[in-house]
Amino acid sequence: MASNTAGRVSPVSAQTRRGRKATAVGWLIWPALLLFALFFLLPLGVLGVMAFLSGNPVNAPAVHFTLRHFQRFFADDLYPEALWATLRIGFLTTLAALLLGYPLAHLMARAHSRIAHALLLMAVIAPMLTGIVVRTFAWMTLLQDRGVINTTLVALGVTERPLKLMYNEFGTIVALTHIYVPFMVLTLAGVIGRVDERLEDAARSLGATRWQAFREVTLPLSLPGILAGSLLVFALSISAYVTPVLMGGTDVLTLPMLIYQQVSSSFNPNFAGALGLILLAVSLTLVIAYNKVLAGLAGEEVS
Amino acid sequence: MRAKVDLGVIAYFGLNGAIVFFLLAPIAIVSVFAVNPTPYISFPPVGFTLAWFAKFFANPDFINALWLSLKVAAAVLVLSMLIGATAALALVRGNLPGARLATALFMSPLMLPAILTGLALFQIYLLAGIGRPIWGLVMGHTVVAVPYVIRTTLAVLHNFDRRLEEAAAALGADPARVFLEVTLPLIRPGVIAGGIFAFIVSFDQFPVSLFLVVPKGETLPVVLFNYMKFDLDGAIAAASMVSIALALTVVILLEWRIGLRAYLKL
Repeated sequence: MASNTAGRVSPVSAQTRRGRKATAVGWLIWPALLLFALFFLLPLGVLGVMAFLSGNPVNAPAVHFTLRHFQRFFADDLYPEALWATLRIGFLTTLAALLLGYPLAHLMARAHSRIAHALLLMAVIAPMLTGIVVRTFAWMTLLQDRGVINTTLVALGVTERPLKLMYNEFGTIVALTHIYVPFMVLTLAGVIGRVDERLEDAARSLGATRWQAFREVTLPLSLPGILAGSLLVFALSISAYVTPVLMGGTDVLTLPMLIYQQVSSSFNPNFAGALGLILLAVSLTLVIAYNKVLAGLAGEEVS
Repeated sequence: MRAKVDLGVIAYFGLNGAIVFFLLAPIAIVSVFAVNPTPYISFPPVGFTLAWFAKFFANPDFINALWLSLKVAAAVLVLSMLIGATAALALVRGNLPGARLATALFMSPLMLPAILTGLALFQIYLLAGIGRPIWGLVMGHTVVAVPYVIRTTLAVLHNFDRRLEEAAAALGADPARVFLEVTLPLIRPGVIAGGIFAFIVSFDQFPVSLFLVVPKGETLPVVLFNYMKFDLDGAIAAASMVSIALALTVVILLEWRIGLRAYLKL
């Protein structure tokens, strides 16, 4: 892909030219195909069917097709509001991740020393490898009433009573941003790295300030990366469960929380399926957009 | 003019310093609470104790969960390396019609909400009446972990010099020997790197596990999550430190053995 050296033809394209006749190695695709057919496609298909069934076909023989789960979704304000809250949290998290991720990705892409680059990469990867539950715990210790930030603010006399930093959407978004910034940085760094630095130098030699050169040259050229990173972070944050539950308290209700509620306490797998299908529709739209953006990126590389 | 530019540079590095601090400080702070003796989370720390670690290791719920998580992650590591490496080989070498579509399918768990994968598996296990066995959990984790192995192996295969294989064949090696002595050693770093990612993905996996575990048979992240809903004390911090230590060991191993950089470009 991007790392292919210019002189060598990649194996894929060489084979394409030889024509499409599957070789014996092609049989090795089967374990993965089987895994995905049985444990991914089939279950998702079942999820889709369950969303339109009146009950569980195993223990309710008189099961029939129905739209009532979707009607229920739109009949009660609670559910569209949860969808709206999910999208709102996803949007704000994405915006925050972009604002924090872009400068760091820029520094990473422009760092010429190998060591600086490796250290920055470590700083970005380390949080990714810490697990969502652990990172959410970290934010609870920071943002709760007796947490690090409130204790410090009260001790400094900035505020008399602790600020309400968590058990609301604000805390949820802060923690989600921390969790998903690395994905943004890694996506952006690759794209910014491919923007030729000499273009900026040329702009500067023509009298542009550093900021102007960035704004007029690098920023527009990194737009596809901004789009790809944002779609990725948005897709991840609208499906978050742990963080909204722990950081949002009773103030936050999102679609993934509703889905688990339907399975664990209401035991209504059909309605859970309908909620899942709605989340799936939103995500699939994003996945398709993401792939389009990536294909556009790959196209640019070739030219 | 000169001074203005320097201010911009200072702002640039200052901002980035702040962002790195934002990324790392929350993780560092956990270590403070893991050794702070107060019975609840409080700041600033008042002393040093290893009691929370003792509490973590003495609690059978935590230890059983840690064991289960490690066992599941080990199984996922092996399964996803086997399935992922063979799939990547087939995708690049198999001349398959629809290889592009298959690649998109295999990568889709990375973008699709894992909570949906969990819910969908929960429903099909329910309909099939197989309950929630551990192998069901392992298969669920494998689906979300395999993409990493396929991705890293594909990266290696795309940079693969096939003339090495041709040379071995020309020197009289039969196809099996070429595969075992040339192809396999060359793709091994990609497969191992992907396998380590798969291990971590499984070890930290939450949304898929949430739907597929049974009471008293929960993985560590699920046990920690349930504990945190009611108690927020140093035991969680200690458990976090144990998780972080495991993850860090893996990262250092990865950087040292294979070099992380090459595998994050895709």
